[in-house]
Amino acid sequence: MRRSTFILFLFISFLLAGCVNVAPWERGILAKPHMALDPQPLQSGIRQHNYGSRESAASTNSAGGGGGCGCF
Amino acid sequence: MSKTLKTLTSAALLLPGLVVHTSQAADPSRANINFQHTRYQEGKRDLLGIRSDLNPIMVDTLHGTGGFLLTDRLRFSFGYTQDTWSGATPIAMTPFASTAGNKEFTRTLPTGEVVSGASPYITGIVDLDRNLDPLRQDPVAGRVVDPRTVLVLSTASPETRKQGDFRMGYEWDNAVVNFGGGLSHENDYKSSYGNINGRFDFNQKLTSLKWGGAYTTSATSAILDHDTLSYVTPLAYNGQIDFQDRLRILRGNRQDWAANVGLTQVLGKSSLIDANIGYTHSSGFMENPYKATTVIFIDPDTISPNPADSIRGNVRAVLEQRPDYRNQLAISNRFVQHISPLDAALHLNYKFSFDDWGINAHTFESDWIQPLFEGWTLTPRIRYYSQSAADFYQPYLFSNQAFLRTITNNAGETQAITYDPRKLPQDFASDHRLASFGSLSGGISLNKRFARGFELEAGFEYYTRASAFAFGGGNSSFADFDYYVANAALKIGLETLNVNQIGRNRSAPGAAHDHAAQHDHAFIPAGIMFGHTLDKAGDIMVGYRFMYARQTGDILRGSHAVSDLEIVNQACGDLVLCRFAPDYMNMRMHMLDIMYAPTRWLNLMLMPQFMDMEMNLRPLEGRPPLAPGGHDHPGTPHATGGVADTIMMPLIKLLDQPNHRLHIGLGFSAPTGSVDQEVRRMAKIDGGIIHFDMQLGSGTWDFMPNLTYTGSHSQWYWGGQLYGVKRLENKNESGYRLGDLFQASTWGGYRLTNWLAASVRGVYTTRGAIHGNFNTFNARIGPMDFPHNQGGQFWDLGIGINARVPSGRLVGNHFAFEWLQPLRDDFNGYQLERQGALSATWHYSF
Repeated sequence: MRRSTFILFLFISFLLAGCVNVAPWERGILAKPHMALDPQPLQSGIRQHNYGSRESAASTNSAGGGGGCGCF
Repeated sequence: MSKTLKTLTSAALLLPGLVVHTSQAADPSRANINFQHTRYQEGKRDLLGIRSDLNPIMVDTLHGTGGFLLTDRLRFSFGYTQDTWSGATPIAMTPFASTAGNKEFTRTLPTGEVVSGASPYITGIVDLDRNLDPLRQDPVAGRVVDPRTVLVLSTASPETRKQGDFRMGYEWDNAVVNFGGGLSHENDYKSSYGNINGRFDFNQKLTSLKWGGAYTTSATSAILDHDTLSYVTPLAYNGQIDFQDRLRILRGNRQDWAANVGLTQVLGKSSLIDANIGYTHSSGFMENPYKATTVIFIDPDTISPNPADSIRGNVRAVLEQRPDYRNQLAISNRFVQHISPLDAALHLNYKFSFDDWGINAHTFESDWIQPLFEGWTLTPRIRYYSQSAADFYQPYLFSNQAFLRTITNNAGETQAITYDPRKLPQDFASDHRLASFGSLSGGISLNKRFARGFELEAGFEYYTRASAFAFGGGNSSFADFDYYVANAALKIGLETLNVNQIGRNRSAPGAAHDHAAQHDHAFIPAGIMFGHTLDKAGDIMVGYRFMYARQTGDILRGSHAVSDLEIVNQACGDLVLCRFAPDYMNMRMHMLDIMYAPTRWLNLMLMPQFMDMEMNLRPLEGRPPLAPGGHDHPGTPHATGGVADTIMMPLIKLLDQPNHRLHIGLGFSAPTGSVDQEVRRMAKIDGGIIHFDMQLGSGTWDFMPNLTYTGSHSQWYWGGQLYGVKRLENKNESGYRLGDLFQASTWGGYRLTNWLAASVRGVYTTRGAIHGNFNTFNARIGPMDFPHNQGGQFWDLGIGINARVPSGRLVGNHFAFEWLQPLRDDFNGYQLERQGALSATWHYSF
């Protein structure tokens, strides 16, 4: 079930990829700083650190690491 | 598509900003330096009517990052994080009706003020009915069922964690690969990690595929003598506990493997979507070594046959036991939509996470990023989170056996038998992070982007955790709490600065050599503060200063080493005998230098500081025995850290010739550093306020006049500085004031090349003893706790190097290092020998 969900997710993503065509000179809005996926990385870093030490959810970003014990 | 169009498209795609970047590469095209300070403050926990004066958890975090483009495609970045935390934290949960819990007491301060507090008790007894519901004796109603649970709070002295990391990234036209690693270090937990991740763009860069992998290895070495932990039963971990200097140290290792894959897709001219899956496999010691689970032992032999009688439970605390492995899977989706009429961006995020501990978690998050006018941006955000409980989570549990029983063996001897741990569940934990709960948080951040490529950012968030917020409701309302986070950041885009610099030089005829000329007189030893001035009105300088000083070796009286016996008998005054002396003390300071020239002759400086310190004590030979009711601090270093005092310094130029410059500084230090840092309460006895040298600031407004002369000729340069600190108040909030300070420095240096110089400096310092004394309880166990053992006269020799980047991408960056070697100490009273100090500075003026 999980594998099929994943394949479906990929399939939909590729399907979406086929249906849009935004020319490079039409990407002015997409290039605005506040349209970035993480426009305020310093703020989001500290917030994720706090949530991570107070909650039990996993992350989808494996670029991190560290963060300490959070044993308090 | 025509050939021309194809060529144009390819060229356009190479322009920066036309590609949607992933979060890992939020702004990879720019070289930048960022500094951020964050304050995390929890609210008081609900102890069901018990008044506790324990301060809630507070964390001060200092975070700095730097990124540089080594070539057009190769980027190196690094980061440093330091956080100091202290405060009261739950160690266990217990039935409110039991004799364990938080016991109120009162005490009288030296000022005569009576304050109330609460001591943690994690062992005791509880009476239960036949359904095992706790019974409480009510003065009016008699014995009643009271199902309430209460947290048992224990307090911690300040502890500091440090983390350093790096990342190297290479970018192709359609792909990026990054690899990085880092280390995190705190006294009881060390962790090292490496990661690799990348991005592949295709479909005209409308689609990006992301991937990543990481490995972390961590080692716990937790001292089990923290306050109440002495009463915790660690039976399951006997093989993992070492004994060192009367301390019990629990050791464990864990490994974490993580992988993620994701896809970012442009949906149109103004929207995009991002989806990710992450998997984490963890194994090893995943317990929180400072959390215990209350186990109520019921001895079957003591249960009365009469069903009307209550059952007596023996309340004990056992170290929690979590599974040795964990697999977690998380799926997240982010949708970003530009709202054209307002030029705003709406970010919607949903994440679902589940694991084989039974925890399912949902996170909904929404940000509205609203650019305003003149570079201002306002971002309100809201977040909701809900999780289910871990399968093995229980606030407390019951065990149908005696905790301790005595038997008589065949030889007629009496033996004590402890409980059988195999009769407890294999895994159990009461850490409220594993309970079912929800949380709601909201915040706002404000950014101001300046024309010269730097940006200020401030943020605030309020978070409230509530059992009732969980999907379907939770049952851990006793652990509800809230916190707020406030942060401020300075971001400097170096490439933008360089472009500006070149532009300004071009636009001003004859000013092309300004940058180099300005820094001909900028070779100043790293240990000198307030030594630079800016050339022109409108100039800005941003810098960072690090200082490390170490004291260890002998205790000196004046300039001479003394015996332990002399310290015992004389260093603590006529009435008290010393029991301990400092073994070593390390002090680290991080300072931000921000300088602006409103006119050519006036410069304004703002210098926020952060400090962290640690001191270890050693018992003195021949010390008197411990007084009844007193307690020792064996073997564990004390630490403090956080925001220190803030300096505001106007510098006025008195002489400004090509080879001779003189300026005066007439500034102040504001008492932003705390002077009431305490040692934790231990074994039901207050630790009291910590030593003078471990406080983070002076606690008083201080006047800091200084006069600096610099000169140069050919390859030689020289200078001198007079610098003083005059305390402007009689005493700080803790009842004392530091001594005044005077320092004279002179230096000479030689430019070895156009980018490197070396210098020698002589320094004389005199500092007065402390006036007044602590107005609250201080343990007064050694020379460091007595005001007369402070200050003195000092002679030092400094050896320094200065370097500047003369050309290329990093032009305009200055680095300086100086080692200050003590030549002679002449202390007031009895103090620990100095070993030297390192200063390192970076600055960039534009």
